Amino acid sequence: MLLLRNLVEDSLDEGYARAAARRAAGEPARKSAVVVLTVGLLLVGLLLATAFAQTRQRASSAATARDALVAEVEQRTAANDRAQARLDQQRAAVQRAQRQVLALSGAGTELADQLSRLEASTGAGPVTGPGMVVRLDDAPGNSDGSDVDPRTDVDNSGRVTDRDLQTVVNEVWAAGAEAVSVNGQRLTALSAIRAAGDAVLVDFRPLTPPYTIEAVGDPHKLRETFVGGFGGSYLQVLQGYGITYGVEDRDRLKLAASAGVRLRYAAEPQPSETRSNGT
Amino acid sequence: MIAAIGLVLGIVAGIFLEPTVPTWLQPYLPIAVVAALDAVFGGLRALLDGIFDDRVFVVSFVANVLVAALIVYLGDQLGVGSQLSTGVVVVLGIRIFSNAAAIRRQLFRA
Repeated sequence: MLLLRNLVEDSLDEGYARAAARRAAGEPARKSAVVVLTVGLLLVGLLLATAFAQTRQRASSAATARDALVAEVEQRTAANDRAQARLDQQRAAVQRAQRQVLALSGAGTELADQLSRLEASTGAGPVTGPGMVVRLDDAPGNSDGSDVDPRTDVDNSGRVTDRDLQTVVNEVWAAGAEAVSVNGQRLTALSAIRAAGDAVLVDFRPLTPPYTIEAVGDPHKLRETFVGGFGGSYLQVLQGYGITYGVEDRDRLKLAASAGVRLRYAAEPQPSETRSNGT
Repeated sequence: MIAAIGLVLGIVAGIFLEPTVPTWLQPYLPIAVVAALDAVFGGLRALLDGIFDDRVFVVSFVANVLVAALIVYLGDQLGVGSQLSTGVVVVLGIRIFSNAAAIRRQLFRA
């Protein structure tokens, strides 16, 4: 308490009182007084203004850096989309050329049929057919993730996670689907549904809710098996957290080709290797 | 009067020249500002009390800034830099407030 009282009561520098006492005792005033004071006040002003300028400069440079980063992200995303569109176009052109060449001979026609069947079943080619659509969406009122403070542990249970999508997609496959896509991303044998932060990624492409799972399969059996099996009960559990969902039949679905099926290490076995394996 | 011109000159110079503060000095700038404000309010109060002394003002200003920076520097070396800066700000803040209160009493008699 003494410390605080000292602080409050003796807030004025003692030096002023002593200087006043000295003056009262008849000490003569110095001539350099005005110069000293001017220099002192100049220093004060310089210090305050420097701090002000420094702070403003730092804030503006941070904002500039952030804006530049945002612009770069947008630019790269646009470039990415353009490149993807071009890739799709050229892939289609290659496919057309391939068909044309193969159609020239009888064996080629057979090969072309085999190729399109393989492409359809692996996901490298587009497919159409009857099937069902499963729609999943985050619980209403759930913040969109960008402004959630992780430390406050806001209730995030109403958000569809990568695990939920994995389970639902697995159940769709198990119900007899022949081709599945999530938000237009065709799933292949190499596809992965993952999470990065709060975003769900399919084949490393971030998705935004609502999530639409399209599956091609037997129009009567697919939905029945899915809803009657673990998939349906899982969706009901999710509903308990406020997640909304819907399952509908569709007469005709059109699933796009996967953005890229590329084998890096696996290669077709040579005929001699096949024999030596003996199977 | 001439002294006030010095203050204005300093502010103008700081704003327009934008002197670059070296990086090693930057952590001490905020604390130096608080110390400077303390000296300024002390000087104002002394002025109103009629006991202002220019030498005391300048010496207290320079010493305040240096000591505040030194304390923070020492704290940084010993790993208690942020705590010591908080302490300096609290002490100087209380002084600024009580000096401002004294000035207010002088000016408005309230």
